[in-house]
Amino acid sequence: MADALTSTPAPAHGADRGSNRLRGALAATEIDLRLFGMLVALVGILLGFHIMSGGKLIQPANMITLAVQASGVAIMATGMVLIIVSRNIDLSVGSIVGVVAMSYALLMTDWLPALGLGLDTPFQWLVALVIGLGIGALIGGFQGFLIAYVGIPSFIVTLGGLLSLRGTVWLMSSGAAVSGLQTEFRKIGGGVLGSIGETATWVVAGVACLAIIGLIVYNRRQRQRFGFPVRPMWAEVLLGAVGCAAAVGLSAVANSNYLPPGLATQYALEHGIIEPPGGLKVPLGFPWPVLLVMFATLAMTFLATRRRFGRYVYAYGGNPDAAELAGINTRWTIMKTFILMGVLCAIAAAIGSARLNGATLNVGQTDELYVIAAAVVGGTSFAGGIGTIPGAVLGALVMQSLQYGLSFNQVNSPTQNVVAGIVLILAVAFDTYNRRRGSAR
Amino acid sequence: MVIRRLAAILAIVALVLAACTDTGDGESQAAESQAAESMAAESQAAAGDCTVAVSWNNFQQPRWAAKDKPNIQETVEAGGGTYIDADADLDTVQQLTDVESLIGQGADVLILLAQDTAGVGPALETAANAGVPVIAYDRLIEDPTILYITFDNVGVGRAEAEAMFEAVPEGNYVLIKGDPGDPNASTFLPSGWDEAGLQDKIDSGEITIVADQFTDAWDTQTAQNNMEAIIDSANADGVQIDAVLAENDSTALGVVAALQAKGYDPIPVSGQDGDTANLQNVAKGLQYVDVWKDANELGKVAGAAALQLCENPDVASVTIPDGLVNPDVAPTAGLTAAEFTTPGPDGEPDSGDENVVNSFILQPQPITAENLDLILDSGWLTKDVLCEGVDPASAPPACQ
Repeated sequence: MADALTSTPAPAHGADRGSNRLRGALAATEIDLRLFGMLVALVGILLGFHIMSGGKLIQPANMITLAVQASGVAIMATGMVLIIVSRNIDLSVGSIVGVVAMSYALLMTDWLPALGLGLDTPFQWLVALVIGLGIGALIGGFQGFLIAYVGIPSFIVTLGGLLSLRGTVWLMSSGAAVSGLQTEFRKIGGGVLGSIGETATWVVAGVACLAIIGLIVYNRRQRQRFGFPVRPMWAEVLLGAVGCAAAVGLSAVANSNYLPPGLATQYALEHGIIEPPGGLKVPLGFPWPVLLVMFATLAMTFLATRRRFGRYVYAYGGNPDAAELAGINTRWTIMKTFILMGVLCAIAAAIGSARLNGATLNVGQTDELYVIAAAVVGGTSFAGGIGTIPGAVLGALVMQSLQYGLSFNQVNSPTQNVVAGIVLILAVAFDTYNRRRGSAR
Repeated sequence: MVIRRLAAILAIVALVLAACTDTGDGESQAAESQAAESMAAESQAAAGDCTVAVSWNNFQQPRWAAKDKPNIQETVEAGGGTYIDADADLDTVQQLTDVESLIGQGADVLILLAQDTAGVGPALETAANAGVPVIAYDRLIEDPTILYITFDNVGVGRAEAEAMFEAVPEGNYVLIKGDPGDPNASTFLPSGWDEAGLQDKIDSGEITIVADQFTDAWDTQTAQNNMEAIIDSANADGVQIDAVLAENDSTALGVVAALQAKGYDPIPVSGQDGDTANLQNVAKGLQYVDVWKDANELGKVAGAAALQLCENPDVASVTIPDGLVNPDVAPTAGLTAAEFTTPGPDGEPDSGDENVVNSFILQPQPITAENLDLILDSGWLTKDVLCEGVDPASAPPACQ
């Protein structure tokens, strides 16, 4: 995660002539100040609700709920960043989620059983999942084709997608809710069933820690090899330490979320453990949706900053004509961003339908607004060329923490929407102000 | 270049395909209406026959085409009448055209599921001019001449709360309401809850409200997220939630998903609508009660009433034949049309603009694991569907 927090191409404005020693030190670590600010804002929001709730909000169990609720939007936001960076928009993501979620539900309860693959077939869920991911990619690919090759504006194509795909959800089930998915599939949705357990969580922490250190070492070597300026040694050590601490800290939080007492008693009985006084504590560890978010963030960040595809996307967003003239196959690049978006929507749909143990007509409705809001709050600019994936994930967490915090404090959902809207505008206003000040200097 | 040309070709193919499907629909619709016209012509040829026309506002909600329509049609045709209909596809103007066309086809009685209760006025005039009596089906039309056939909507809330109070007479309740802009969610259902004694139980301290939350657009995921936050909050307070009064089935589905995700022991949850997923949850013991409005019975009453109005257009004299509907569903006011005071166009009771209409107000039925057989007997769901995934060891009687 530490690597995710470091800004990518922004060359260190090292010569920040003695304005402020702290700023200079931060610049040396190459931490993206924007992201750092968002992290501070997120903690601030949570602390605010914590106080409002009389000191009850910030607890491992609640933080896990919050992260799981944000997971679908966060995963989709990583793809939306690339779409907005390349000067497009995708309004259809909520409806794609609807179609794919309904496909999962119908595949498992109706279509696959009709082909002889009943609910009791092992790995039936995997077949459904693969087909669902394919449907997502196909829908995204078709829209991307219309946008990139036929030249219809993305706003129009995906607005059409928003309407027609939502109608498709209705046609698929005649408007009825479908329920009863395979138990294995439901693990994708997290909850008490879908967490990886204590040991696996510590393994994840260890692997993450090693990966962070490995990346830092690799980065330093590469920079030395090509004669680029390197971070001062203390900054490297600090980054490694903070990254490792974050990985271990998050795992500790996940492992402080225990199985509910009733289920713990059952667990003790099944495993022949004598329950200690005060109840058995069975740590749940990371839920699957949270792992999926981490994976999507890392994979998409890698794709966006370390692969040619990502470079092309940012190049096109910065100046489409220049990118075209430089010989980039811009159409194929744009189409790929939409295919990717479709696949990410299908992952979000898996989480959504697994959480619901089925699908309703409304699954994913208005998700497009939250996904776009998350990307924008996370610093993605509609002017194109600017935006980071970790920023968008943080944006999703900020938006969801507002909803969760208000809901936790029993504020009604219309009020939740009012607050979410105001924060969206404030975040962008603040960002615009900061950028203007930055360029005026 | 090749790709650009390919793109153009594909786009053209897509357009042609879209156009084809459009005309396809148009043709089939034309064929349907032609068939309806010829049926109407035949019925007029057979003198003294009764033609019952239904103007549906939509077929998008599954129930209208799946439950209401076949029951009206069967009842009318069993009585020797002819059935014709039209679907306005959620369009007020389309519905006015539909009504004119249905009356032009020789309708003797009009059953109207109004898209817009105020906007339907011109259709009533058309019907009155042609001397065609009108039945307001499921949705009220503010006009004293109509016959109003519906379920008791306040009674739904009352039935939900009564069933829940039987299961959990005292304890910590969570209230999950629907969309704040829908009078059903903010006014009618809660007043039904209070009729069953919710407010009294709160005042006497028997019931404590842990949380009271609306759900935008009756959305299942919103209800789930809200419920998860409520459970977290209650856990932080060390409070055990004993029951959840949810207003309808889509919110109840979200509540059940949240309880499961949190590993909460199953607690009684209420709902209404008789949705398949929720009745399956009742069979699995995940939802305690689902208040069910049997649209099959509503359709039968409307069909029988329409046949009588053919003989005698006086709406006050209509009587449901004995034994046509299930006694549990039959109006408490008896089998003859009873007077019903509407809230009036402003929606406020006792404001001076009320109408008194003749009505059949059917009773909703609370469905629990014990009387799920009603769902099977009525043919609402088949046993295969209802009992899918039910553990045989704890199966309710209907699934054994």
